[in-house]
Amino acid sequence: MPHQCTGCGERFADGSKEMLSGCPECGGNKFQFRPQGADVPEEPEEPKSGPQPEPADDPQESSVAETVGRATTRVRDFVSGGDEPDPNAAWPDERDATGDVGDDGEIIDADARREAGTDADAGAEDAAQVNARSGLAAPEDVPDPDDPAGAGDEPPAAGGDPTDSADASDGPPAAGDDRVVSEPSDEDPDLAELREQLNDQFESIKIVEPGQYELNLMELYDREEYIIALQENGRYVIQVPDQWIGADVDDR
Amino acid sequence: MGLLTDLRSSISRATSSLFAGTEPKRIGIYGPPNAGKTTLANRIARDWTGDAVGPESHVPHETRRARRKENVEIKRNGKSVTIDVVDTPGVTTKVDYKEFLEHDIEEDDAVRRSREATEGVAEAMHWLREDVDGVIYVLDSTEDPFTQVNTMLVGIIESQDLPVLIFANKIDLEEASVQRVSNAFPQHETVPLSALEGDNMDEVYDKIAEHFG
Repeated sequence: MPHQCTGCGERFADGSKEMLSGCPECGGNKFQFRPQGADVPEEPEEPKSGPQPEPADDPQESSVAETVGRATTRVRDFVSGGDEPDPNAAWPDERDATGDVGDDGEIIDADARREAGTDADAGAEDAAQVNARSGLAAPEDVPDPDDPAGAGDEPPAAGGDPTDSADASDGPPAAGDDRVVSEPSDEDPDLAELREQLNDQFESIKIVEPGQYELNLMELYDREEYIIALQENGRYVIQVPDQWIGADVDDR
Repeated sequence: MGLLTDLRSSISRATSSLFAGTEPKRIGIYGPPNAGKTTLANRIARDWTGDAVGPESHVPHETRRARRKENVEIKRNGKSVTIDVVDTPGVTTKVDYKEFLEHDIEEDDAVRRSREATEGVAEAMHWLREDVDGVIYVLDSTEDPFTQVNTMLVGIIESQDLPVLIFANKIDLEEASVQRVSNAFPQHETVPLSALEGDNMDEVYDKIAEHFG
């Protein structure tokens, strides 16, 4: 019996369709694969009970800790770096060009996101999609409706492929160029994506563009730290509770 | 008049024992932008201390930093109640500098105001979490009270078990509907008033003394 429900221990044959809509016994939707011949315990294994995180005294605190925990490292950098954050400090992506900045989220750079060709409503779209949506197609790239064969003045390379039209908005496509995605010229698209992620994580205030903000009141209320100043370049200055700094240093 | 009589008769439902001790209670004046929070704060401060709290304006988000007037002593029925009045920026989920452009404010200034207003909302929400002992929730009674912001804020205040009074402001305007406000929050007492004209302030102070004394 290769599959076992981790909730109630119910077992299922390999390829069983029952599992597809969840365990019929308990409704669970996590199953462990048990190869033939392996020991199958009657009861599902307890989840690994390593050092459990200390339960917070107060559920509110716990949710706060969870939400903002990722920002702590970066916040500590700000706080331990001096009383006042250095406005000229490097951006996280500049400091961590090798990656690994996806977990930190106290900084949003609305300007850079805009420059990167993403817009605030783009969500998970990548730059190419946004470009395709907002860019204008050059008239010569739009197939003539009277000419289904696409024999215009300048024959389109791929018979009016919409991605080609998008490409054309950034400049005339080189003949035979098979690149269909136009990338933001001034920035690595990964960084734009990364900023989008940071924005999603630090969602108490979303800077749509300078002067336009969307506020998540529950998040603002729920946080122990609070935003003192939004700076010109889209950065925040936030005040964090003292215990964060102490606790984090102890962890090291 | 029936409504007023009803409200007056409900004075007996006092909850004055909520707070013991003599420390002034910090009473936060919360509500959406342009509800008349600063006008009310100024009215209270002027009536009892002679000072004002801050400038009033028709431009939304005129108040972009919480302002406090301390030790406002309100004397009611032989008793005296001391409160710190905290006037907060209007709470909203969206701030857009374009809103200010309609009020003949230059773009640069509008963007700055917008940023400050956003900081102000963050500050107001933080104060609500940590620094207030009671809330006066001010609504413009000519506006629809059923908004996401109102529901959310009143919900937060309730979850904190903070004593709260709903003030239906601007009753001097023809379109005002106190009933609509009290229907929106039937679980709380609604006090009609015009902070600008000083209408019904006697009852306002009675209720403040009753709820926050």
